[in-house]
Amino acid sequence: MGMQLASFPYLSAILLSCVVGLLVILFIPRDREALVKGVSLVFSGIALALSIYVFCAYDRTLGGLQFVEKLLWVEPLGIHYFNGVDGFSLPLILLTGIVHFTGVLTMWELRGRVKEFFAFAFVLVLGVFGFFMSMDLFFLFVWFDVSLFPMYPLIAIWGTTRKEYGALKLFLYLLAGSALILPGIVYVAVASGLHSFDIMALMQPGALSQGQQRFAFVLFYLGFGILAGVWPFHTWSPVGHAAAPTSVSMIHAGVLMKVGAFGILRVAIFLCPIGWEYWAPVMAVLATIGIVYGIFVGLRQTDLKYVVAYSSVSHMGIVGLGLSTVTAEGLNGAVFQMFAHGIMTALLFSSLGYIYDKTHTKLIPDLGGMSGVMPVASGYFIVAALAGMGVPGFASFWAEVTVFISALKVYPALGVLAICALVLSALYMLRVVQKTFYGQRNERYAQLPDVSFGLGLPRMILVAVMVLFGLFPRLMLDLIQTAVIPFMAGGGLSR
Amino acid sequence: MKWLTLGPEIYFLAVGAVFLILSMMCPNKKRDFSAALFLAGLGVAVTLASVRLEGSLFHGAYRVDLFSQLLKSLLSVGFFLVVCLCSSLNGIHEARHAEFYLFLATCTLGMMLLVSSLELLTLYVALELASYSLYALVPLRRGGGQQMEAGIKYFLSGIATSALMLFGLASLFAATQTTLISELILKLPALLNTPMAFIGLLLTLCGFFFKLALFPFHIWAPSVYQGAANQVTAFVATATKVTAMAMLVRLVSMSDGNTSLAHVLIALAIVSMTYGNLVAMVQKDFKRLLAYSAIAHAGYSLIGILSMNPTGYAAALFYALAYLTMTFTCFLVIVKVAADGRDVTIVQFAGLHRRSPLLAMALMVGVFSLGGIPPTIGFTGKFLVFNAAMEKGYFLLVLIAMINVIVSLYYYIQVVKAAFLLEPDEELPPIHLSPPTTLLAVAMLVVIIVGGIWPSHLFELARAAVQTLR
Repeated sequence: MGMQLASFPYLSAILLSCVVGLLVILFIPRDREALVKGVSLVFSGIALALSIYVFCAYDRTLGGLQFVEKLLWVEPLGIHYFNGVDGFSLPLILLTGIVHFTGVLTMWELRGRVKEFFAFAFVLVLGVFGFFMSMDLFFLFVWFDVSLFPMYPLIAIWGTTRKEYGALKLFLYLLAGSALILPGIVYVAVASGLHSFDIMALMQPGALSQGQQRFAFVLFYLGFGILAGVWPFHTWSPVGHAAAPTSVSMIHAGVLMKVGAFGILRVAIFLCPIGWEYWAPVMAVLATIGIVYGIFVGLRQTDLKYVVAYSSVSHMGIVGLGLSTVTAEGLNGAVFQMFAHGIMTALLFSSLGYIYDKTHTKLIPDLGGMSGVMPVASGYFIVAALAGMGVPGFASFWAEVTVFISALKVYPALGVLAICALVLSALYMLRVVQKTFYGQRNERYAQLPDVSFGLGLPRMILVAVMVLFGLFPRLMLDLIQTAVIPFMAGGGLSR
Repeated sequence: MKWLTLGPEIYFLAVGAVFLILSMMCPNKKRDFSAALFLAGLGVAVTLASVRLEGSLFHGAYRVDLFSQLLKSLLSVGFFLVVCLCSSLNGIHEARHAEFYLFLATCTLGMMLLVSSLELLTLYVALELASYSLYALVPLRRGGGQQMEAGIKYFLSGIATSALMLFGLASLFAATQTTLISELILKLPALLNTPMAFIGLLLTLCGFFFKLALFPFHIWAPSVYQGAANQVTAFVATATKVTAMAMLVRLVSMSDGNTSLAHVLIALAIVSMTYGNLVAMVQKDFKRLLAYSAIAHAGYSLIGILSMNPTGYAAALFYALAYLTMTFTCFLVIVKVAADGRDVTIVQFAGLHRRSPLLAMALMVGVFSLGGIPPTIGFTGKFLVFNAAMEKGYFLLVLIAMINVIVSLYYYIQVVKAAFLLEPDEELPPIHLSPPTTLLAVAMLVVIIVGGIWPSHLFELARAAVQTLR
């Protein structure tokens, strides 16, 4: 993989905008809530603008790692401050920028401990940005944990249903993953004999033997798989999602679960390609179980947030299925699905959040006929639900099609099973939509106001992004391809 | 000129003398505190000025090198920090304040002598100077009798371990016919397969296992942490642990990578981590919780030491520094929340985020650092220690330690939850921090975070210090 050094540290500037935003918020008196929100919006806007710039300015003909910043950090241990983006990480950096910006807008009406909320949110997003751009295992792990620990206060303080239980479960589950990842990271650095945490050095063919790769892959796959919601380690996800406040659910399902999936890609697959080939059938089985299981459990749910959370489990299963094919198309589709699902879930939680804020319920039987009461707010949810079903015209359609085509080639039986389950999911999503937004109207909520233009703005942005990449999927697929092709041809794989 | 190399020791002897005189005058709380604060601040300057001194005194029994001077600086910083907490020393009767500072100074002096001792008898005498000061400090607290129980427990288990250690020292001498560590380093590795030398070394280590509260020498820790005055506990939990970790580095490095010794230490580390973390989960009193977490941390730091490679020793020293900063931050919060000098239960942190946002944040960063969450100095310390163990191929040990870290997060998060989430039954007044205290809290936060993000210089320093061990 080629490497282009950055002329200006754009990537560090993204991180810096989060750090500065955090520091500024800490120095604002706590009663100036409007100012806190304004500052959050400005700094999340800067981060978004920078990530859009990096996304557009990435040279697709050159490919490889670009905007590279490399600094020796701790010499005796071989730790570098090493940032860079390639076709795998760019979509996710853009995703993080969009979701955080729209998340801030979604929480515009937050009351109570506003300052702390936005401060924690900045720490969370700082960790996520850092994770996606870091090419050094030490920093990768640091960012990983930085992105996880704010989840506890964010859910436990501002959450809703069984928030303390959900927060604790999520926190301990996710950090349990790091109990496997940290030994794994140190293991590969030492076992390779390189005594370096540089991913580019460690991914060279021959750095790790076949046995070492098979072993380390399991550590990384399980460690990151917990966060990616891989069945059977997904149980934290519905509880945590249901408990979290709206924008935290957005960031969490939209971005944080991708941190797990991206960790599998960047660490497990990059460093241990032979282990990847070896364990791919197991990954495929787990991913397919996840898809089917998520859909069937989702069918029984009456809480809208649980419905969305279980759909996330099954959609993240599609990412896992793509990764397990060990093909270029599969990888491509998986990364695109991470992006598409991130935007789609963010929209689902965001529109759900508005309805919940007004009605104070998210139980399907209590709602009903909402499209008559708040047509615009309902519209956003329905659009997102359609995207989730894989309707053409939205980004997730292309992602799912790409994954399923490659899955059918490699694992015909599992592929057919997953597709059948997905058809069923369309059925149940339509039932949810029908029960919640059409049918008998609940008169208690008849007088509620519809979403205003300003509050609808974040949802509009998310819909626009989904449609943009649904109509022009090559904007994304070609970019991901620049990373997939050199990686698959890189010689790490045995076949 | 030769005496100049003993600068820090002479200085702290003088500090002790000053407080000996003050203790004979009529008690004056303000005067004692300002004298202590001034002298402790000057002490930091003196030790820092003598960091680069080198020399060997008393026929090789006492050596001044980077290793010892670095630890003396750490000790004087620890002494200074604890004195900073004493502005309202309510836990101790006013008439005893001068004695309190006196024993604190002699204990620091003893530990300073300890880290420079290169001869077994000198080492023992220095250790006893430090120990006896602590035996006097622990029951100094006013109140119910709980402090007497703690004092007696500490004293009895302390002298019992001293006896064990003396037996170990005698065996070492019998096996090697020398008490000089510089000669022991040459003779011991070949002799360690004989039971006398092996048991001798192990029993010698016991003296420091006790100070470190490593399982099975931990029984004193919960009672002493809870029973002693908050400031005394802060000193026991920071300065003495640093010394114990450093001395274990010095003594274990004599064995030159003996595998049987490593296996014994691995067993102790695993049991200590697991026991400390599991028992800490059910604690209600915050100081008691910190005592059990200290037992667990003794296990983590031992991982660096038992790796028996220069990286491991340097990692253990770094861990000692990290442990000092993060534990001190927790005690800073304890002392400020319990202004009247009582014990603090975890639920008493309820509403802290409103009473004092800075203290709540310091508490959160402190316990997250203890829990090993990046980007804090506690995480970096653990990372370095695990890295050293992995170089020796102790994969399972690292995995068990990491599982322990996750278990420990359960009780650390309860503390954060109390500070940020729980609401007190009755509304408590805000805690007003004086400007120096605010500065101290901010400084601790900065050290914890910057030390975690940018450990390069500190780690290099620790490596350079370890070089002088040989």
